[in-house]
Amino acid sequence: MDFFIDLVIIGLSVGMVYALVALGISLIFSGLDIIHFAHGEIYMLGAFIGLMLFQKLGLPYIPTLMLAVIITGFVGVIIERVFYRRLTSAGGGYTVAGMGMVIVGFGMSIVLQNIAFLIWGPKPLPFPVPFGRPIEIGNLTLPMSYVWIVVTALALMIILNLVLRKTMIGLAIRAVAHNKDIAYLSGVNVPLMISVIFGTACALGAAAGVLIAPINYVQVQMGIGILIKAFAAAVVGGFGSLPGAVLGGLLVGVVESLGAGFISGTYKDIYAFILLIVVMMVKPSGILGVEAKVKA
Amino acid sequence: MAPMLDIKDLVGGYGSVQILNGASLRVDRGQIVALLGGNGTGKSTLLKATSGLLKPWSGSIAFDGERIDGMRPDAIVRRGLVQVTQGKEAFPGMTVEENLRLGAYVVRDRAKTAQALERVYSYFPILKEKRNQLSGTLSGGQLQMVCIGRGLMSSPKMIMLDEPSAALAPQIVMDIFRTIHRITRDGMTVLMVEQNVRMALLLATYGYVIKDGVIHIEGSAEKMIHDDNVRLSYLGGTVANREAQL
Repeated sequence: MDFFIDLVIIGLSVGMVYALVALGISLIFSGLDIIHFAHGEIYMLGAFIGLMLFQKLGLPYIPTLMLAVIITGFVGVIIERVFYRRLTSAGGGYTVAGMGMVIVGFGMSIVLQNIAFLIWGPKPLPFPVPFGRPIEIGNLTLPMSYVWIVVTALALMIILNLVLRKTMIGLAIRAVAHNKDIAYLSGVNVPLMISVIFGTACALGAAAGVLIAPINYVQVQMGIGILIKAFAAAVVGGFGSLPGAVLGGLLVGVVESLGAGFISGTYKDIYAFILLIVVMMVKPSGILGVEAKVKA
Repeated sequence: MAPMLDIKDLVGGYGSVQILNGASLRVDRGQIVALLGGNGTGKSTLLKATSGLLKPWSGSIAFDGERIDGMRPDAIVRRGLVQVTQGKEAFPGMTVEENLRLGAYVVRDRAKTAQALERVYSYFPILKEKRNQLSGTLSGGQLQMVCIGRGLMSSPKMIMLDEPSAALAPQIVMDIFRTIHRITRDGMTVLMVEQNVRMALLLATYGYVIKDGVIHIEGSAEKMIHDDNVRLSYLGGTVANREAQL
């Protein structure tokens, strides 16, 4: 029983990381109507930037996390403004123009991987953070790095939720996500809001990268696996739904952890997709998903 | 005095399809102007070009003495010209009050927003009752009230309404028109696109009929209401369609 609870807790904390990346993917989908295939690389970039700040500048972990999140957010804003905007502003959704966006996303993912390769090289780099002794709850011992993930990710989710629900800028973001024309006619600066949405999504991805880095190594290919799992998480929860992204991320994390613990760790990556297939068979729109978004 | 809205030789359309072929129209301060025309004649396109959703290809649009053609829609809202689109498009995931507050996005003043909110509630008391309800749960008439209310929230100088009576029950249409009348009595300038010709001309002071993207007939509303040409040119399209169907 303790083993089971252990696995669930570890699954939940890794799931938080998936949830952060899935939140970004869902935010971008609902705000920009595109699927961002380079989001895994944003996560990778966040982890590398964090590692640089931590090791080269010797910053403590919390300032490292905050600064890496902010820097990556701005990098995301620049990427979107320079490379994506001309495609998304031409509109198109799922049409030929939308297809162009898919290709540009994949291209960006390769470009970012190569840039990271040129700067940081192919070797996985450790991100050793002295978190202190693991905490003990009854028979369970939980490494502090997992506690950090849960606390930070929860804090970020609560902040995101409050901003979206309670502030004018949140109202504007929700308006842009639902209908850009009406948002425009309400006086919202839509191009600026799109930058805000994309930057926020990239910041969340970077936070995930910096949080997972002390557990895993930081390496150039780390974005590929996370993209696919976060994508599975977003789809399981209901694509475009933010609570769905969180729920999906946690489910993927727990299922993966239980599968690795009780069945076999060799095929750890399979369990997320078994979950995905089962959910798709039972409820194709995802657990919290509504019917497909109608494109104007 | 310069007109509130002065559109000259407006040409525009979607992609390579030209809809407006040089339409000119002016709205004076405090007027209610009705813009009439059949389906596909360019009424909505003209409004979209004016509100900035659509970039005009040529021609000029001046609002309150300033050229606004080519500006972004939010910049035009900031200058006091608001469009309420056709189709009662509110944000279904937001409450009535959130929808309305969004309309005051350009107003960065809490007191002014609260004042505007009270004014909208005085025009549409039912919205005050339903303030915390999601707008997705409202009836068609209430949705239209939310949309008009949202348009009024930034306290604009002029509002453009695209078919405020479309797809509403007659009783609700009367309510909406009565409120539009009240709003203009309080000093608002209105440009209204309507299919409901009679009602629109009863409310308006001046009317335009658009056909094939140009202004076809114009005149005072009183004269137009008795003008057979107006009825003919307005109904022309639909009669022809009906004959084609037969």
